[in-house]
Order: sequence, then structure tokens, then C-alpha cells
Amino acid sequence: MLRADEEDASELKIGDDFLKAKCLMNSEVAILLEHRCDQMKHMSGDSTTQLPQVLEKSLQYVKRFSRFTNQGSVKQVREVLSRYQLAEFELAVIGNLCPENVDEAKSVVPSLKTKGRGHDDEAIERLLNDLLMVKKFE
Amino acid sequence: MQLHPRHFGRNLRENLVAKLMKDVEGTCSGQHGFVVAITGIENIGKGLIRDGTGFVTFPVKYQCVVFRPFKGEILEAVVTMVNKMGFFAEAGPVQIFVSNHLIPDDMEFQSGDMPNYTTSDGSVKIQKDSEVRLKIIGTRVDATEIFCIGTIKDDFLGVINDPATA
Repeated sequence: MLRADEEDASELKIGDDFLKAKCLMNSEVAILLEHRCDQMKHMSGDSTTQLPQVLEKSLQYVKRFSRFTNQGSVKQVREVLSRYQLAEFELAVIGNLCPENVDEAKSVVPSLKTKGRGHDDEAIERLLNDLLMVKKFE
Repeated sequence: MQLHPRHFGRNLRENLVAKLMKDVEGTCSGQHGFVVAITGIENIGKGLIRDGTGFVTFPVKYQCVVFRPFKGEILEAVVTMVNKMGFFAEAGPVQIFVSNHLIPDDMEFQSGDMPNYTTSDGSVKIQKDSEVRLKIIGTRVDATEIFCIGTIKDDFLGVINDPATA
């Protein structure tokens, strides 16, 4: 495990566990949690059951900040973004924030600028355009 | 995962999974953050009987959704409280504090019914229920919650005014 002061998401230092793990976008988590809540309500038999606080709060949060709401487009976003050799973490951040231009993208995901990764401005531009298309046709 | 012998029988597996969900969901650890929901059970190993108690410990491998904010990560949050020291925001179960030193200098604190931070020309306002984009600069993890310090003093950070997300 990394010591706290060594952690820095802007350089993609997030610990081995999380580098290997799949990072989900808010929209994906929303679908997942929604399903889970339905399941819990179904199991307990009435819809007024109190959900665990963490689950409830997380669901509210991801629903509020979901850029994509229908399942098809969420899937498409992941497909589009995974063509660009991004780390899981970067993919999730871009999918969550949907930056509008190259500078914004580089600012929110500074690890894109790391040399030797083949993400020049042109590639980022293309990526953002693809993302915009998905959003447009949602 | 420890299970009381009264749960043994045909429903052992279901009971085990139900107890796992009850015990693990909503907990928080420094390494992995909040466990929000368990999504799948990979496998359940052989149980080991504990001497003296009769409890049996099962190794359970499972998949789950966790929420863990990282230092340097940029995320969006909802403002919950504003005061002259700065403001608090919430991203799901995680609390984030943005001190007034980390709010751009051109934003001034305005007290009143609805305390807020406003730019001198009044074009940008941060108050309760505003949505802001911020950068995490520090995290502290307790047994039950994660607390973060954030900043909005950087490019592309601050109130989200995109009407599509409002």
C-alpha cells in the first residue's frame, strides 16, 4: 500500500490495487446501484424500507452527476473511451467530467500529458469529439 | 466471514451472503475506501471451526463497488454548508471541506440567510446546493468516514454552470 503522501492521482499514483481494479463511471455506478436497490426493496417486500445510508447517499450522488442516463449510451461511452489506451482511472474521470476541450481535459487528467504515452493534442481532440457524439445522440 | 452455527443447513450459502452484505456494505477502510455495494461472490472456501465457540469462519472472495477519493483527483460535489471559513461539500458519503484560502481571491464571502461566496461582478455564486467541481488535495480516513480537503483555485474548477447538468 502507498503511504498517503505518495499518493497523487495526477501522476496516476493510486496504488496497485486500484490500478488493476476496474474504475466505473458515475453513470455506470448509477445503473448498478439502482438495480441493487430494487433488489433490496423486492427482497424485503415493501418499498418503504430504509436503505443503508452509504448506499442511499452514493446513489443520490451518482444520479445527480450522471452524464449519461440510458444504458446503451453508457456502454457506448466505455467502448469509445477504451479505444484510446487510457488507464482505467483516466477513463472514469473523463467519462464523469466530459471535458469540453483539450485544455480542460489535460487539466482535469494531468496524467494524459505524461510523455511517451502517445496522447498528443490531436488524439485527445478526437477522443473528446467521439465522446460528444455519444452525448449528442443519447 | 464468521457465521453462527444456527445458520447452517440448506440455506448456508444464502445466509452467508446475506450476512456479508449486512456487515461489509457501508463500511470504510483506509486502503479501499467505502464499500458501497457487493456485486458478486467469486467463491466461498472451506469453513474453519473456531475452538470453543462453534462459530465457523468462511473465506469469501467477492467483488464490490468501492468509493475512494484520491489526492489529486478531480470530482464534482454538492455544496452543503457555507461559512466564513470556507464551504463543505458532499460527494456521496464523502465530506469535503474547501477553505476560503482555496477559493479564488476574487470571490468574497457574503453573510445572510443564504451565506455564499460571490465574485465582485456577481456572475458566479457558491451557496448551499450549488454543484462544484473541485480537486482533492488531502484525505483523512476514519473508521467510519472519509474526510477530504479540496480546492477550487485552479483552472477549470469551480461552479458548474453547464445547464445540462444543473
